[in-house]
Amino acid sequence: MEILELSTDVLVIGGGLAGANTAMAAAEKGARVVVADKGNIDRSGDIGGGVDHFMAFLNQGQEWDTQDAFLSYVENVGRGTGHLSIIESVYCAELTDAIDRMARIGNPLTQADGSFYRTRSMGQPGPYWINFNGKRLKPRLGKAVRKLGCTVLDKVMMVDLLTHQGAVVGGLGFHVRSGNFYVIQAKATVIATGNTNRLYENPRINPFNTLLCPFDTGDGQIMALKAGAALTNMEYMRMTLLPKGFAAPGFNALVGMGGRFLNGLGEYYMEKHHTMGNRAPRYEVVYYTLEEIRKGHGPIYIDCRHLSQKDLDHLRASLGYDKDTLPDYFDQRGEDLGSKPVEITVSEGMQAGPTEVTGSGVKIDKNSASTVPGLFACGDASDHNRCVHGAVAGGYKAGKSAASYALGLKRVDSHPKSLTREEIDRFVAPLYRSSGYPYRQIEDPIRKIMAEHVGPMRSANSLRVGLKKLGDIERYLDEMKANDLHELMRTNETRSILSVGKIMATTALFRTESRNKPYHHRLDFPKTDNTNWCGLVVVQREGNELSCSFEATT
Amino acid sequence: MPPIFDIKKCSGCGLCDSICMADAIYLKDYEEKEIPFLKYPDECWHCGSCRQDCPEGAISIQFPPDMLSI
Repeated sequence: MEILELSTDVLVIGGGLAGANTAMAAAEKGARVVVADKGNIDRSGDIGGGVDHFMAFLNQGQEWDTQDAFLSYVENVGRGTGHLSIIESVYCAELTDAIDRMARIGNPLTQADGSFYRTRSMGQPGPYWINFNGKRLKPRLGKAVRKLGCTVLDKVMMVDLLTHQGAVVGGLGFHVRSGNFYVIQAKATVIATGNTNRLYENPRINPFNTLLCPFDTGDGQIMALKAGAALTNMEYMRMTLLPKGFAAPGFNALVGMGGRFLNGLGEYYMEKHHTMGNRAPRYEVVYYTLEEIRKGHGPIYIDCRHLSQKDLDHLRASLGYDKDTLPDYFDQRGEDLGSKPVEITVSEGMQAGPTEVTGSGVKIDKNSASTVPGLFACGDASDHNRCVHGAVAGGYKAGKSAASYALGLKRVDSHPKSLTREEIDRFVAPLYRSSGYPYRQIEDPIRKIMAEHVGPMRSANSLRVGLKKLGDIERYLDEMKANDLHELMRTNETRSILSVGKIMATTALFRTESRNKPYHHRLDFPKTDNTNWCGLVVVQREGNELSCSFEATT
Repeated sequence: MPPIFDIKKCSGCGLCDSICMADAIYLKDYEEKEIPFLKYPDECWHCGSCRQDCPEGAISIQFPPDMLSI
């Protein structure tokens, strides 16, 4: 186990869709780049296995197809969960380049005939989803990143940021196979580590059977918070609908192609509850689905029997682009979209952005900069990027800004002192304990507490009880034992998961209203209060405590 | 517990081990070559990357009973 020291202009933490675009941007600006990923950037992150959707306005002549119309949509569904001026800068202004870049790396968003296949769902005024084949998007991005000369550290988990004189100046990580420890000095650092997806008790038993990547565990958000950065929108518990036994994506494709939500009584309930019917915003669909289940109207199904053969064929292919193994799952379970409704259910909770167009995590400005000098953020780990479109556009924006910042520094005034072996050893301590708890014995109860006390029906009392129980678990963190480096990675993830849970409960307690129900549904404050709460809850660390404040959106 | 490795087809190139985002696939010695095995089966996310990228077409996917029966 060696200590390896590296020096670079831009360090990118997380090489998923956002981080890979960040690395490309920084390298194309002339910066030296290091990318570190727990997996392998050729296949890591939420879309490692593939993806089929990208949200965009294209200015093709329809009134809903413009930037102004898109921002109105953000305002309507976002309901104060993002600053339009920041979304304009980190997404709208980057969109044309983002679409061109997808083609440039060999994964265009167009069909074979050059056209865009567009569908509409989730409260959109027109078909903003571009349906495309992204099964090889990550390998192509990985190749582009390596070709640009970036130093890629696959299977390296970053565990902390280096700070000096109030700025972030790099990070620390270890290789999950060799155990070698990396001390990376960087003029600019970008957090691109995704959401927190292994946070809630999983209705499908296995906590790794999650909609989004279960290895996204909030590590970047917690590192940023510890370094002094502000986070926002952390109170939102995102959920969606998915096939009963397999947390595979496909909601937008199924609904976009015309799928209808059906309850156990044979009623198309969304068509009764919402003026937009099945194409209502996602949180509305989840809310009414939970209501149906509570009323005893379950199970819930998605019905595609009415679709034409051509649409069914397109849908089957598209579902396999979004989740490569979903067609296998349907086959092995005996499901057929064209002949019978498929049972679906509400997903596990995630700490994630409240909509597909407003995010959560590290608070960023128009240049993707955090509130700490030298630290930037993008993708699902930042509060103004969301989903595939946000990662591609916002990731590149963060890379350009980080490179500009790094290359603009005349010199690094002074480095932090070298780390001692003892300081590094605290990250690997679970390996050397003679006895201790496996990480699952700590993580499973965290998920249970989150589901029971910080879930879709919250109150001040439940949140306080949740916080107390999460606090009680905290004392066991230093008693976890890892049998190998893989388990060491998981124990570090458990620490992040617990921290995210505490932040979520704290911010949910602070926001005394409900917003985008059921993502933040306070039973003791069931109404949305736009007079006092149309904006972001900002959370920061003050000593060992969390401090919340409110920032109205503009 | 996907994935399932066809050891007769496998060349032992190690690509599945390298790209697995779960760090769930490892290599072990087997006769004259190295072959993959699923060291952490519960942690597979069923992303299908290993099957897609296997140059020998040696990987298939079989979902476990808990996912197929609930």
